[in-house]
Order: sequence, then structure tokens, then C-alpha cells
Amino acid sequence: MLEQELKNIWENSSKTAQISIETDQLINEFDTKMTRIQKNIRIRDVREISASVIGILIFSFFAYEIPFPITKFSCFLSILWFIYVIYKFRKSKLQNSNEELSLSLKEQLVHKKNLLQQQVKLLDSVVYWYAGPSFITNAIFIFGLENPVDYNWNNKLTDFFLPLTIHDKIGMLIGLSFFYLFVVWVNKRGARKGVQPILKNIEAIQQKIKNE
Amino acid sequence: MIHSQNSFDQILKENKHKIYRICKIYASTPIEPQDLFQEVVFQVWKSLPNFKEKSSIDTWVYRITLNVCLRSKMKLDKTNQKTIRFDAIQFIPVTETINPLDEEKFKYLKECIETLNESDTSIIVLSLDELSYKEIAEITGLSENHIAVKMKRIRKKLFACLTPKIN
Repeated sequence: MLEQELKNIWENSSKTAQISIETDQLINEFDTKMTRIQKNIRIRDVREISASVIGILIFSFFAYEIPFPITKFSCFLSILWFIYVIYKFRKSKLQNSNEELSLSLKEQLVHKKNLLQQQVKLLDSVVYWYAGPSFITNAIFIFGLENPVDYNWNNKLTDFFLPLTIHDKIGMLIGLSFFYLFVVWVNKRGARKGVQPILKNIEAIQQKIKNE
Repeated sequence: MIHSQNSFDQILKENKHKIYRICKIYASTPIEPQDLFQEVVFQVWKSLPNFKEKSSIDTWVYRITLNVCLRSKMKLDKTNQKTIRFDAIQFIPVTETINPLDEEKFKYLKECIETLNESDTSIIVLSLDELSYKEIAEITGLSENHIAVKMKRIRKKLFACLTPKIN
């Protein structure tokens, strides 16, 4: 088989269809697609941030309303943690949206690998920046709950479950532990099953490029 | 900076067949070559305002095409899972000029290229488009020498796979 024959097969392969492109209409369709993408990004951003904003509002109210000093302190810690989570999500999103498709194949692999490594790091370290701090602030909150009578605090809602016994507090803490362990497991699984295989694939391609 | 509608139109006119050929190699079910093609065109349009003329426009288009195709192959593109076809791009089958034998030969070529690894695939499709080693090096980021060495081996492998099928 001749090299020229190979090139002919290649050249003829695009002649199986006539590609007709209406540029004006296409640009309109692209604009619509871009608007839709941006709208979806905005909705996702608002959804993620609003969860933290609601958290900040709730814990601000608790900090104002609850008289127990340790619980009050945990509320401030929770507010700081919610702010940190917003920052962390924003930073990670900025890094992930930084797609450079006009890089050379080799540079693109390095770029994609870096992004994926950051993603793995974020998911693997969820215990340090998400589950751990949240568990600690929740634990301080629960252990700080005292008897409202000692502080002359009257609240119809809390009257139902306060004061808590030490057994109640330990029980709640065990429940929380299971919840946060589950959160850590889900994130680590996401890194292992979702991101690591692609990362390994990229590394394999890089290795092949290097060795051959 | 080139980002007028005329430039985009010109780029499409000059490169649509090249892009489509590459997409035909990389497309695998459920992604059709047409889906990949329109994604490449969309990315070209999106990236055009950032084109800084450090490389030729052809090199730049090839880079985007290969990166989009590779992204799809490695399932890195989460946004392209639900493909919406653009009405402005129409693929009209040209039945009268198609030689069934050519179609079959292309099927074999695709099968053989699929046995190559990702970097070899990108090198061979660029080489089949008659790009020089220098241009291939610019697109892939490898050195010219490296391309030359690889090409020798890829060619041998490809011919060994293709010859018995075609003959």
C-alpha cells in the first residue's frame, strides 16, 4: 500500500458530506448557548452560595439569641467557617473554569493534569476544610448548651429540648460523627472513582509521549 | 486580534473539512462526528477573541480541534454530555460521488488509527493532512526530532495494520 493511497483515503473522508454553515445564524445560536451556559453557572453559584449565606444568617441569629457563652463562641466559628467555604468554592470554580484549548497537546495535558490534581486535593482534604471544622463547631455548639434557667432565658422553642443531658449530647455527637464520616467517604470516593482514573489516563499519555 | 465575524467565517470556510476529518477519527458512540465538529466550531468562536497571533491561525485551529477531540475521548467534557445540534450547521450526505470502496477503506483506516495511543493518533491525523514535522511539533508541543522518530514507528504500525485489510 502506498503512502499516497493512504492520503487519498484521508482526503476523501470529508467528501461524504457537504458541510453547510450559515454563519449569521450560527453566531446567534452560539450567543444563545453562551447565555444559557452563563445562566446555568449563575444559578449554580447562587445555589451554592445561598446555602452558606443561609447558614451565616441562622448562626448570626443563634449568636445573638442564645445566652450560653460556649455556644455563642461556636456560632462565631461557624460563621467564619461558612465564609471560608464560600471562598473555597469560588477559588476552586475559578481554577476549573480556566480552560485553555489553544495550548499545544503537551501543554494541554499538563494544564488538565494540574486542574485534576487540584480537584483530587480538594476532595481528599474535605476532612480538613469541610467535615472536620464543621464537626468541631457543631460539637462545641452542642456541648455549650446549658440550662436556660441558669441564664433566665425564656424561649418557647428550646424549652422543649433544653437542658440536654450528657447522654443526649453524646448521642447527638455520635450521630454527627456518622454524618460527617459519610460526607468524607462520598468525597473521597468521588476523587477515587471520578477523577483519579482520568488523571492516571493523562499520566499514561504523558509517559508514552516521554518514552517513545 | 482577529475576532470579527468575517474572520470566523473565513476560518470555517478554510478549515471545516480538516476539522470534520479529525472529528470522524475521534468520534465514538454515542458522540457523532457532527457533535464533535460543532463543539470544535463553538470553541473556535469562543476562543477567537483571545487569539494572539503567536501561531498561525491554522495551527491554532488544529490545536483546538485536537484538544476538544481528546477531551471528548477522555470524557473530560461534562458540558457536552447532552448535545444540542445547531440548525445553522447542516451535513448533507453526498451519495452520488461516494465510492463504497473508499468508505470501506476509511473504516479500516479508522480502525487502525484507533489501535494507536492518543499522542500517536494526533500525530498521524496531522501528518495525513500533509503538515510538516515543524507544524506538527508546534501543534503537539513535541520536538521535530521526536515527531520524526515517532512517525517512522507509527507509519510502520499503520501500514502493517492496513495493508492486509485493504488488499
